[in-house]
Amino acid sequence: MDYFFFIDLIQSTVDGLLFGTTYALIGIGFTLIFGVMRKLNLAYGAAALAGTYIGLVLFLTFDAHPAIVFLASALGSGAIGLVVYLCCFRFTPTHYPMASLLASVGMLLFIDEVVIHASHGLPYPYPSVFRDAIIEAGDIWIRGDLLFVFFMCVVAMAILFWLLYRTPLGLATRAVSQQPRAAQLCGIDVTRVNMMTFGIAGILGGIAGAMTAAAVGVLSPVIAMGLTVKGLIVVVIGGLGSIPGAIIGGLLVGAAENIFLLLRGVTERDIYVMLLLFIFLTLRPGGLFGSAQTRD
Amino acid sequence: MMLTLENLSKHFGGVRAVDDVSLTIKEGEIFGLIGPNGSGKSTTVNLITGLYTPTAGTVSLDGWDLTALPQHSRTSRGVARTFQNIRLFGNLTVAQNLWVAQNGHEQRREHFLSRWFKPGGEHGPDIDELLQFSRLYSKRDVLAGNLSFGEMRRLEMARALASAPRVLLLDEPAAGASLEDAELLAERIRAVRDQGVTVLLIEHMMELVMGITDRLAVLNFGQKIAEGTPSDIQDDPQVRAAYLGSGHDEKMERASA
Repeated sequence: MDYFFFIDLIQSTVDGLLFGTTYALIGIGFTLIFGVMRKLNLAYGAAALAGTYIGLVLFLTFDAHPAIVFLASALGSGAIGLVVYLCCFRFTPTHYPMASLLASVGMLLFIDEVVIHASHGLPYPYPSVFRDAIIEAGDIWIRGDLLFVFFMCVVAMAILFWLLYRTPLGLATRAVSQQPRAAQLCGIDVTRVNMMTFGIAGILGGIAGAMTAAAVGVLSPVIAMGLTVKGLIVVVIGGLGSIPGAIIGGLLVGAAENIFLLLRGVTERDIYVMLLLFIFLTLRPGGLFGSAQTRD
Repeated sequence: MMLTLENLSKHFGGVRAVDDVSLTIKEGEIFGLIGPNGSGKSTTVNLITGLYTPTAGTVSLDGWDLTALPQHSRTSRGVARTFQNIRLFGNLTVAQNLWVAQNGHEQRREHFLSRWFKPGGEHGPDIDELLQFSRLYSKRDVLAGNLSFGEMRRLEMARALASAPRVLLLDEPAAGASLEDAELLAERIRAVRDQGVTVLLIEHMMELVMGITDRLAVLNFGQKIAEGTPSDIQDDPQVRAAYLGSGHDEKMERASA
């Protein structure tokens, strides 16, 4: 193996791991919602993208500071997450999971249509920071914008962990995800916990969307499909319901994607990432961190 | 007058699981609810805690109508229960299980942010005291999922007590317990009552029911067929008929002996 190829491989892996934190955030969002409701929200990726567009509107109309744009993207996505909850989950029958699943598919397509209509299907510039900063570590270059993406996503995860493990809300959320009926009888308003979870997962999705756009400096409607599909692959690999699993899964998908990009080119890249999905579903359907924990 | 069920009915399709049951449980008493399998005991508990909406009738506590309240609001009004099949938060520690119950019922809108984002908070009964009372103090930092069966049962009851209930519903707390364990359980139930908590006990173990209840009611096919003190019930011909052939007759004899 010649030296330059080896350097390229390392470089791709490093870039992939840094960018993989956005996939990890999306995976965590899927996992959080599944944790409390035992239901898959397929509109999650699209809602994250739509929230990112809210930040973009501020950027295009007021030329807002990148920090404001990112914040608006995150909060906008949180708000859309609440709308998705109210439309697809709050009032659908609990004992008919298909209803909310199909409602969320409908919502995915609906949000997609609205975004394509509003953006005319065209990509727009999205603020990117530390574009020109590069840290040289020998022959490996660490891109400043990717490092920023990585840093933001890690901070978001740290705040989430603090919420989950250090606050009453987190304790209530964990109680609901383990035993919803008993949690209710401990006086916890399960509906409110579900709603908070959709909001928080939405904010995480918005951060992931904003950082995805910031990493390439462009926001385009096609990102919705990427976020949805990659997010699902991440939770399959990590194990649906496991937050550490979503983190590891996200980094893995990020790295694998970049390595396939290097080896097989951009047109073939996603084919191999999809194959990963089938390999995991067949050989390890519970994912790396699949929990054996049961509930009714 | 404390917990009152008035003409309570619950029908599942054509099945009358609970059929026009009226009960009045007085403050500070231990009230037993017995009956053969499928007689509607658990459905009655689920109607009181709000899992089911009654087909007809009302549930009230101290004259407050609970019938339209969701489950979590009934807890803050002072209704707590344990489950026949244990439902602990398996991945939380023993102390955290109690903490959830202690704080859950205190969430109120005006305290929303401070309550949900600030750790700590001292409300309701003292967790350490509850742990000692339930003989779980040494296990306080163990995950609930790793406890033994008996410890899980004790934690279920401690968790129900952590929400500072006025009425405690115990759904077959002695299931799977030995006679000695049942005696310890009876002691704990009496101690709870002595603290001023009204107890509704649903139980198959006749020794326990006859030994500690002040009054009890018997359900059969969803209907109340008798109500009175343990000795009244043991002499009731209708009750004997209901239990005949279901294998409980012998137990009744033994308990009354």
